[in-house]
Amino acid sequence: MAERAYKIAVIGAGPAGLSAAARAAEVGVSHVLLEGAPHLSNTIYRYQKGKLVMAEPTVLPLRSTIDFEAGSRERVLSVWDEAAARLRVNVRHGAEVAVVGGTQGNFTVSLAGGEVVSAEFVVLATGLQGNLRKLGVPGENLPFVQYQLDDPDEYENETIVVVGAGDSAIENAVALSAHNKVIIINRRDDFDKAKEGNRTAIERAIQDSVIECLYNSAPVRAEAASDRNGKPGVLVVKTASGEVALDCDRVIARLGAMPPRKFVESCGIEFPNNDPNAVPAVSAQYESNVRGLYIIGALAGYPLIKQAMNQGYEVVEFIEGRAIEPADEPVLRDKFRAVVEIRSVSSALEVIKKNVPVLSGLTTLQLREFMLDSVIRAPKRGEILFELNDYSDTFFSIVRGGVDIHVDPNDASKHVALTKGDFFGEMSLISGRRRNATVTAGERCILIETPRRSMNKLINSVASVKRIIDDTFLRRAIQSQIAPELPAEALREVVASARIERFNAGKVLFKEGDPGDSLHLIRKGSVTVARDIGGRERVLSYVAAGNYVGEMALLTDSPRSATVRASIETETIRLDGTAFKALLSRWPDIQGKMQSKARDLLAGQSAKVQQSPEGAGDLISFLVNQGVGEATDVLLIDETLCVRCDHCEKACAETHGGTSRLDREAGPTFAFIHVPTSCRHCEHPHCMKDCPPDALRRAPNGEVIILDSCIGCGNCETNCPYGVIQMAVKEEPKPVNLLSWFLFGKGRAPGEEISGHHDAGAAKIATKCDMCKDLAGGPACVRACPTGAAIRVSPEQFLTVTRGTTLDRS
Amino acid sequence: MHESFLAYRKFLYLKLGVGLIVLSIGAYALHEPPHGPNGGTWLGYTLGTIGAGLILWLLFYGIRKRQYHSKLGQVSGWLSGHVYLGSALLVVATLHCGFKFGWNVHTLSYVLMIMVIVSGAYGIFTYVRYPTLLTDNKGGMAIDAMLSEIGDLDRQCLQIAAEMGDKAHQMILRSIERTSFGTTSWRDALGGVSKGLEDLGREIKSIAGDAEPPAPLPAAIPQIGGEATVFFVADQLAGFRDSARAALGHRLLDLITSKKALVIRVQRDIVYRKLLKSWLSLHLPLSIALLAALTVHVVTVFFYW
Repeated sequence: MAERAYKIAVIGAGPAGLSAAARAAEVGVSHVLLEGAPHLSNTIYRYQKGKLVMAEPTVLPLRSTIDFEAGSRERVLSVWDEAAARLRVNVRHGAEVAVVGGTQGNFTVSLAGGEVVSAEFVVLATGLQGNLRKLGVPGENLPFVQYQLDDPDEYENETIVVVGAGDSAIENAVALSAHNKVIIINRRDDFDKAKEGNRTAIERAIQDSVIECLYNSAPVRAEAASDRNGKPGVLVVKTASGEVALDCDRVIARLGAMPPRKFVESCGIEFPNNDPNAVPAVSAQYESNVRGLYIIGALAGYPLIKQAMNQGYEVVEFIEGRAIEPADEPVLRDKFRAVVEIRSVSSALEVIKKNVPVLSGLTTLQLREFMLDSVIRAPKRGEILFELNDYSDTFFSIVRGGVDIHVDPNDASKHVALTKGDFFGEMSLISGRRRNATVTAGERCILIETPRRSMNKLINSVASVKRIIDDTFLRRAIQSQIAPELPAEALREVVASARIERFNAGKVLFKEGDPGDSLHLIRKGSVTVARDIGGRERVLSYVAAGNYVGEMALLTDSPRSATVRASIETETIRLDGTAFKALLSRWPDIQGKMQSKARDLLAGQSAKVQQSPEGAGDLISFLVNQGVGEATDVLLIDETLCVRCDHCEKACAETHGGTSRLDREAGPTFAFIHVPTSCRHCEHPHCMKDCPPDALRRAPNGEVIILDSCIGCGNCETNCPYGVIQMAVKEEPKPVNLLSWFLFGKGRAPGEEISGHHDAGAAKIATKCDMCKDLAGGPACVRACPTGAAIRVSPEQFLTVTRGTTLDRS
Repeated sequence: MHESFLAYRKFLYLKLGVGLIVLSIGAYALHEPPHGPNGGTWLGYTLGTIGAGLILWLLFYGIRKRQYHSKLGQVSGWLSGHVYLGSALLVVATLHCGFKFGWNVHTLSYVLMIMVIVSGAYGIFTYVRYPTLLTDNKGGMAIDAMLSEIGDLDRQCLQIAAEMGDKAHQMILRSIERTSFGTTSWRDALGGVSKGLEDLGREIKSIAGDAEPPAPLPAAIPQIGGEATVFFVADQLAGFRDSARAALGHRLLDLITSKKALVIRVQRDIVYRKLLKSWLSLHLPLSIALLAALTVHVVTVFFYW
């Protein structure tokens, strides 16, 4: 029985489908919105209560008939419900679509109940969540196996096996572990795929034995238990040491979702390949290979809510025969205005793709998104882009013209030219450290400057970008650190032998007495150098990123003279010893330089061992254990001077809205050096890793700061391993009147904290040390210290036996 | 890396202070006024003006210290100047008056100034001495941790004492109740830690709970570190004949001794902190008094010439 025909049938009432139907309703096109669930937007509806819905990417304008901005799940849903009612969107709940047949002008949409809806056009916006990935083993549909978890508090005192290592699996496991015994099954040996905060949470829970984890394991089969008195189910898991049977009350598998391929293919839509994650190919107007059948949202490969909503709007426009430019077009056009000759956005993107090899592997959509985050610059000749020792961390690609890298701060005539297609700034991006050279613009140059976060996102999602940047980094690091004066050709063999190695904190790069077969350039992180003295490993020095270790054994052809250990997560470029020795024998100058450097270093170290067999090295290990190794600037208090007056805290509170960002008393002390709870301004700030509004930034002077765009989600507070971020109510304290306070005890005492005086419901935002960037004269805590006990220093200043690079020496 | 306020900028203010003293003494030695040196000569006025200016500047330190937005240099530099130039004032003011003393407001100002300087000197002594002692005393343990450990030890003591019999239980209970960390004002020196102390007090009460309230003691037992309890347990121990009870007694003695050591450490921490601050309660009022006396001194000198 065919119902009356609509012009557009939209399948799926998620953000994409709803937006499409809303636009159709707005312009008076006959439409129907078919939704299986009894409410709109089932995926978001099933979010945990109160969960924050993000509106990424921030720079992309929203173009939809209905509103959407970041907010709680409840708020977002109520706005949509209200809009759908107001616009009289013709929605049919409980309409499970079985198959779509026909073609443009004559589609028949058959519902599960046997009803048929006809339409001229069909918009498929089902997303992926309707098709959760299952265990893929026998018993995957048994009643005790589930693929969703709505409310973790529903279960108590159960044994629950969680399968998966992604964010939802971790969130479920951690939430369930409060009242249940939880075992998590991870196919791999780490949780690196998850967000930083979740990774830390699960690793901590496993370490504290709150959750049991089976690594390198996979389910083999699920069985209903035969023993009626025991647990209802058994999950048999294959582990590294054989099969184990886990008795459990339930199995919760969170393995993500995949395109409902069978259904999509049954509509006549083709997939580009056999990858189960592949999405159907669509035209620039979102039309599939079936004429009149459009696909938008996650099913078309655009998982973000805002993108999906924009597409919903646009698809109706396309169906109605109106040409419409992409929503981000005006923003991009504005950006390209810096470049006069470029007329249209699409031609500009073509030029970028053609001229910049590192970006040529991007799809147009990726490039658009990348450009939305980036800035186009057309600096004048000689303009400084960044200076040596700046803390900026943006990445530059050269679209036209060139730049000069001034390799020697003392000699302006020494510079290396980079031209069209090259990029620079990758050193600071990767190592998290200061700029290692000044760069000035050349004649008629056009650059793309990209912020750290967008660049990292790109590096992590596009393999070709990562490969190109890594290769270039490798070549440049070797050249600048070992032999800037040699031609690139001379280093070819060494470069070919190089590979990147990763070490977790505490892992050994090489041990004292090992044969010396390689040299390590530290590209990220830092290491400590220790020697066995009197049967105990004693730390002699701390070496930061941008330097090398392990040259001694190669130069002297002897075993390793010391043990080198990663003090934090560290990446090195390992150069093969044989190739390196060959290089040295060919270029005696380099050998001579390295030798004299090594000699100084050895002499310095043995002097150190003689002078203070105990103190200094132990202090280095202590500070490294306190995370000073990854700091760029840390507050250290000399307790022989500290009179415990707390003026540092008071100064901090007074200059920062009445909330002190430092806790002087807390934190450990060693050899009278106290490391208070205060921001270390890490090289790779943990707090930055998962900031939804990207409000955590590194300022040009190195301080890690929180912008006003903070939404108060608390991720940074959770992610900071040093506990230096507090959530506080933003409030300006009343000014202090010193006289009336002193004479009559009236008003607020100088430096008195105001936190704790407001209602529990007040909105909190993250606060942390900003190094008093807005105060002339530097950090207030240090300036307010009456005895000189408090200083802020970089670890190199405090720790390093200087191991300069060749660059420094020349 | 760290630079003490005493050594600020390679002893800049020490050098300035010594310079001021040398200049003052030199001028004083060369100057031969007709009626002998006094505050009324040109040098007397000069030194007096310098002295008064210095006093105002030294007083301003109290304000600068609390101006956390100030761009006027580091407070440690200010303190350095405060210390050395304040000490130089001793010489400047003495030469200003030309050793003419009497029972009047002028000499009162002088005496007050001397008292301020001496109290300040004691302050420097505490600043040099107690920070190190504080850290040494804590031995890497936070005060909160010590307090919670004391609570743990108390709990264990009570358990063992209960096994040993009523008398021991009573004694230990009393000992715990009488553990004191000093008066309230001493506690204030601990800042936030005093809350921890209150919690502990409450907890001890709740442990004691249903137990019989201890009979009032005939005389106060000195509880500094709980020697009385130690002696009591040691006494009991000497009387024990069976090995099980003796073992209990030994354990109790160990626990009490560890607790005693911890209590002493907490008490010391309080005392050191207090010492670092208490001198100010002399230094500050004296400074204000000096300001008042100085004002009278200057006004009278100008009005009753």
